[in-house]
Amino acid sequence: MSQAAISFQWLLRRLGHFGHVHAAEVAPGYASLVRSASQLKPARDDLVLYHHGIASELSSALLHLPCRRGVVFHNITPARFYAGTQLEEALTAGRAQLAALAGRVDVSIGVSHFNAAELRVAGHTNVHTVPLFVEPNRFDRDAADEVYLRELKYPGTPLVVSVSRVVPHKRVEDLLRLHAELARKSPGARLLVIGPYAQGSRYFRDLPKPPGVTFAGAVSHAELVAAYRAADVFVSMSEHEGFGVPLVEAMACDVPVLAFAAAAVPETLDGRGIAFDEKNFAVLAELVLTLRDDHALRARIIEGQHERVEALSPAASQHALAEALDLPRPAARRRRAKKTSKPKLAIVVQRYGEQIVGGAEAHARQVAWHLADRCDVTVLTTCASDHLTWADTLPEGEARDGRVTVHRFACGGARKMRPFNRLSDERFDGAQSRTLEEHWLMEQGPRAPGLLEHLADTCGRYDAYVFFTYLYAPTALGLPLVAERALLVPTAHDEPALKFDLYADTFELPRALLCNTPEEAALIAQRFPQAARSRIVGVGVDPLPDEGFRPVPEPYLLYVGRLEAGKGLKELVKHHGRELPTLVLAGAGDLDLPARTNVKRVGRITEQQKYDALRHAAAVVVPSKYESLSLLALEAFACGAPVIGNAESNVVAGHLTRSGAGVAFSSFEGYAAAVREVLAEREKHSQKALGYAKRFRWPKVVEAYLAEIEKVRRAT
Amino acid sequence: MKLMGRDITGDALLDELRSRLSARSLDAPTGGPIRFDGLEPRVDPVAFNVEALTEHADPTRPLPLETHRAGLGRAVLLAKRLFRAGGQIFINEALGRQKRFNGHVRDSYAQLAAEVKTLRDRLEVLERPKAPPSKRKAK
Repeated sequence: MSQAAISFQWLLRRLGHFGHVHAAEVAPGYASLVRSASQLKPARDDLVLYHHGIASELSSALLHLPCRRGVVFHNITPARFYAGTQLEEALTAGRAQLAALAGRVDVSIGVSHFNAAELRVAGHTNVHTVPLFVEPNRFDRDAADEVYLRELKYPGTPLVVSVSRVVPHKRVEDLLRLHAELARKSPGARLLVIGPYAQGSRYFRDLPKPPGVTFAGAVSHAELVAAYRAADVFVSMSEHEGFGVPLVEAMACDVPVLAFAAAAVPETLDGRGIAFDEKNFAVLAELVLTLRDDHALRARIIEGQHERVEALSPAASQHALAEALDLPRPAARRRRAKKTSKPKLAIVVQRYGEQIVGGAEAHARQVAWHLADRCDVTVLTTCASDHLTWADTLPEGEARDGRVTVHRFACGGARKMRPFNRLSDERFDGAQSRTLEEHWLMEQGPRAPGLLEHLADTCGRYDAYVFFTYLYAPTALGLPLVAERALLVPTAHDEPALKFDLYADTFELPRALLCNTPEEAALIAQRFPQAARSRIVGVGVDPLPDEGFRPVPEPYLLYVGRLEAGKGLKELVKHHGRELPTLVLAGAGDLDLPARTNVKRVGRITEQQKYDALRHAAAVVVPSKYESLSLLALEAFACGAPVIGNAESNVVAGHLTRSGAGVAFSSFEGYAAAVREVLAEREKHSQKALGYAKRFRWPKVVEAYLAEIEKVRRAT
Repeated sequence: MKLMGRDITGDALLDELRSRLSARSLDAPTGGPIRFDGLEPRVDPVAFNVEALTEHADPTRPLPLETHRAGLGRAVLLAKRLFRAGGQIFINEALGRQKRFNGHVRDSYAQLAAEVKTLRDRLEVLERPKAPPSKRKAK
């Protein structure tokens, strides 16, 4: 149910509505994703959608909320399966609560027609069906845990997989009977039951545990996909299902589904897979072997199942949800911004300000300033100045930055990096469910709910929105709210987070992607084939006139930027030999670096000092392998400085190939040789740098942005 | 038994499976299709609450002891049983007033529920469409 709530939140975001998920109980560490129910303070016009199953105190609380109310019914297992246990009363109480909600909610939603019918029986009117769904790409072969898949998938012995909690109404004992029959026909047959179980429960204790049967408990998403994909047949013996998500997951994993036709199961299968109405285990065991060995039959069933998975798509559920809640289509809902000669433009970026050090943030500010002549520019950003903690250090509310209006929203709390890094290591290791990816995103931040509410509330106020950096929450959560007027400057590079499917919306929903380099556009197209149209826009670089500043006596090599892990500085300093010129590191950061006599840290420098230092540098070093633009390289070229760059960054390598103004080293062992090669022909490289830099001028960049903004205006 | 699916011919497939099984004398008959009651009936909230309040009004009565944990869980269960056996007299003493209070809550709810039912019935009568006035004039 919690996964469904997160999925509904996602669909609502795509429909332009912002909201929070609240729960009676929140698992430790998940407070960023789900708020406590006690924090729920809806306004009169708000809609609270309550997900109902077994008895909960929230159903009574819902009755008294001073707002519009709706219930999403996930079904309740009939109490007869749990007669004599404490659960029996909670199940009956859940049904009594469902009936008590009738007439006191504005809309009632069943996640299947079966559930919708039970809502009607309970007295509900204005009943709709919004089916649950799976995101098929999360169940692709690539998403499977390789080790687990190899462990499970070996030919010869049939493998039956079932995914469910080990509880009475799921009839695990019938799975074991089927397994016994199968083992009689095919010794070595295996049954893998995935799902949580209570070791001390009477039901689990009484189940036989013969050889070949594994109760795997709860597994990771990648392991779940591996289990489905290793299976010869997926079997469900459950005698009550309100929907049956595992049936759809199995269908998405190309495994034939064999399911007992109980409750909503026939509806969920809709004629796909094979349903049966009688538990003749000998016949079913023979059928399992047939489904494994009859390749034509297997292929036919899998193909049919694909159609069912497609029909149960997120888009179909989104449409059904919009109908159920009577939500107008985004285009109809949004008031048109007054079409004046000067477009009203919102730039959304995670941090903003003169003192903010960061490539994407500086880029956003430059774009804002250069567009301010031709557009009415408002920057929507957070109060954070530190990208590690997102602590609110800048005042909330409106401010001016030259001709640009800046509206800052509070983040409300500081991020702790150590737990976040641990979480990242965990989540980057294999495919994840949407819930876990969204949890990571909320921990990534910056969380600025006010900013998101502002986007949802003011989507008609601006002609266009330009979002900077795909990676952070304001873009990933904010862009879908205003997608039809959104442009994205992704600043994407090959990094672990780009593998998360939750970013599909970020790249697919905007009107266009304004990329910095062809390499960036190619990377996005490869990762998200359905991504929006991309245009290489780049940035302009206008060096300030020389005022003669030199950080150290010439000759020197120069790096300018944040001094932090991930920029390749440790390796660079380690490989900066004594025979090489002094390496100057300019920028903020307290990164611990190896001691070298010919490496000098000069701290943060001004814009004027930066351009002077670049102009007089023998060469500029770009050691990072994660670059989406490499503004430093472009600024170096504009100042006539050759670049020595890390070839692991396609972007840097692309600049160097196109310009011929420097050398890329493919490993740090080759760094010293690259320096010597550049310095030997510095003048030649310098001339090529100046020639290449002519491509990056602000008037060209501004025209490209204006053309895309105009396209958005015309289309909305 | 029926096999259902758009991508199979259910009867033909079932016949094939059965003939294979009978060739090996393996087919085992079952008790026929499992019957379902269909949709679950409505549970009247007021009646349920009266029943639940009645069931739980006496706090000195123990709930059934259950555990989902193996090992230590079972030891805790045993300890709880011993506590109940030895301490029931003190439990009764400590919760005597609570028992009375719960009884009053139960009775109050039952009386209010009866009142609500009466009012609902009367409202239903009042809201029922009235019969059109008779055309015959009084003499």
